[in-house]
Amino acid sequence: MASVSVQTKSVRKLKVGHIAAHLVLGGFGLVLFYPLIFMILSGFFTSDEFQTTVLGILPIPKEPTLWNYRILFYGSTDTSVRVYILNSLFRTLYSTFFAVLTSFLAGYAFARLKFKGKDGLFLSLLATQMIPGTIALIPTYLQYARWPYAGGNDIFTGGTGLLDTWWVYLLGGPAINIMGMFLVKQSLEKVPYELDEAAKMDGAGTLRVIFQVLLPLQLPIMAFIAITTALGTWNDFITPFFYTNSDHLQTLPSAITRLTSAAKGGYSSPNYPIIITLGLGTTLPALLIFFFFQKYIVQGLANTGIKG
Amino acid sequence: MERAVSARVKQTKLKRFLVRHRDALIATAILGPMIFWWMIVSGFPTLFGFVLGFFDWVGIQAHPKFIWFDNYVRFFHDPLYYNALLRSIWMGALVSGVTLLAGFGAALLMNMPLFGKGIYRSVWYIPAVTSTVATTQIFNIFLDPTNGVINNILKSMGHQPIIWQFSVPWSVFWIVVYSVWKGVGGAALIWLAGLQSVDVTLYEAAEIDGANRRQKLRYVTIPGLKPIATYIVITSLIGAIQIYEQVMFITGGGPYSQTEVLVFRIYRDAFWDFNLGMAGTSSLIMAVIVFVATAAYYRRTTKSDRSDTIPIKMKGRK
Repeated sequence: MASVSVQTKSVRKLKVGHIAAHLVLGGFGLVLFYPLIFMILSGFFTSDEFQTTVLGILPIPKEPTLWNYRILFYGSTDTSVRVYILNSLFRTLYSTFFAVLTSFLAGYAFARLKFKGKDGLFLSLLATQMIPGTIALIPTYLQYARWPYAGGNDIFTGGTGLLDTWWVYLLGGPAINIMGMFLVKQSLEKVPYELDEAAKMDGAGTLRVIFQVLLPLQLPIMAFIAITTALGTWNDFITPFFYTNSDHLQTLPSAITRLTSAAKGGYSSPNYPIIITLGLGTTLPALLIFFFFQKYIVQGLANTGIKG
Repeated sequence: MERAVSARVKQTKLKRFLVRHRDALIATAILGPMIFWWMIVSGFPTLFGFVLGFFDWVGIQAHPKFIWFDNYVRFFHDPLYYNALLRSIWMGALVSGVTLLAGFGAALLMNMPLFGKGIYRSVWYIPAVTSTVATTQIFNIFLDPTNGVINNILKSMGHQPIIWQFSVPWSVFWIVVYSVWKGVGGAALIWLAGLQSVDVTLYEAAEIDGANRRQKLRYVTIPGLKPIATYIVITSLIGAIQIYEQVMFITGGGPYSQTEVLVFRIYRDAFWDFNLGMAGTSSLIMAVIVFVATAAYYRRTTKSDRSDTIPIKMKGRK
């Protein structure tokens, strides 16, 4: 009798705990999601209405229009949105392609090949990861400006160099992706070397071993590298904002940056509806990438080499 | 005849060389071009940035002047700079502290066998994938002095509207709120990974010994999270010290440079005031702080197996 009552008590306690957990996670989850809801709703305003409406918790337009969303897909007279989107897409695909390629090949070299000075080289590459990227911003600017024989330069000075050209986006890609290299090396070392041996016994060449035996096993970690790189590049506003100037080179985030008060200076009131439109254009693809590949993100975060 | 023989000998020598150094050759073919290119686009600018700190160089056109440590002397005497550094440190500590605690609480709840766990995980993580530029603008709409959402709500409740941008504590408050909003999901996911890696048998043993839920948390979960806690604390601190986008877009460093953090200071110096020497100096000081923190982390983890060290990812490195 007593034992039964104890059991019901514990079950009820569990239920109460669950409900409380649901309330906390759901409530705070709503709060976290709220700015995005606000954004999506604001997209249905015309710009005049948005400036005259007294904004409440949820902006409900009196006459909802699809005008902003149409701008997002077809562009308008004062913003060449389609160009921004294409630039963003190009940059993202380009960086992601190179990140995946370089991190896989470099990871393979460090995990499977034996050569002199391997450990030293690996550690020194890792050490460079500790230096914050901010320090290279200005020198990179100077480097682009003074690139020999580019943009009207003689050997070092004279013209604008590579600033404000496509080269700004093309240069960084082929370099080594150190973080990705580390992750690939980690997971390749867990693959037994006997697998390579067996494939070689069956007459596979080195390339075939790399691409048909090892690569398929690394797909989850490659997906993680691809997604994080893609999101990072897609949301990156610094490169275009600092190193380019012309309209046809802007990406979505940098186009927004130019419209903000941070770029315009002072307390000028920015044109929020256009900003929101472009902001949606930036956020929605990122959300789509996230929803389709969230499994890999969670896996990747969970498998960063943590042993309990 | 002789020539043919020597050619054959040469060929075999070459073959032997290729076979003997096969791995090294393949590695050179793979890593050589990558590292060479990385040196040009990343290694060289970094070194150059360190060197710049020892020069007085205002503007792109004037000649740089070598001035030893004068920039560093100025850095520690000019309140504009050392206050920005101190602000970076305490704001970073505040942001990462709040983010980690909130994330830990969320992870504990997400670890329960709830219905729809996956949905919560995604919703909490969503802010992390959004673009900083876009979402800070939404926060600016909330904080707008004349037609901001929060001020409209205050007005409807009969309060005076607050001009957030004119008040230092409020500006800091909103920067912290934004940073936590963006970071809490990622923190929760990493904590969750740690929670799920704690050995289940330990919990069973604790249960047999009659431990209640709080004691299990205190004596099993928290000690089991030690390795991941070191990692997440260091990385989030390193990330939070380098916060600047929030400051740039939400307060612009205002009022009167009172919310400027060091990385934002570097941007102002480099791209607005063209004070390249000071920007290099600030960068180097920032780099030293981050480097020391990271090195300390790696030192701590060398006691365990080196291959289990979790690599630290930096902001701003592509």
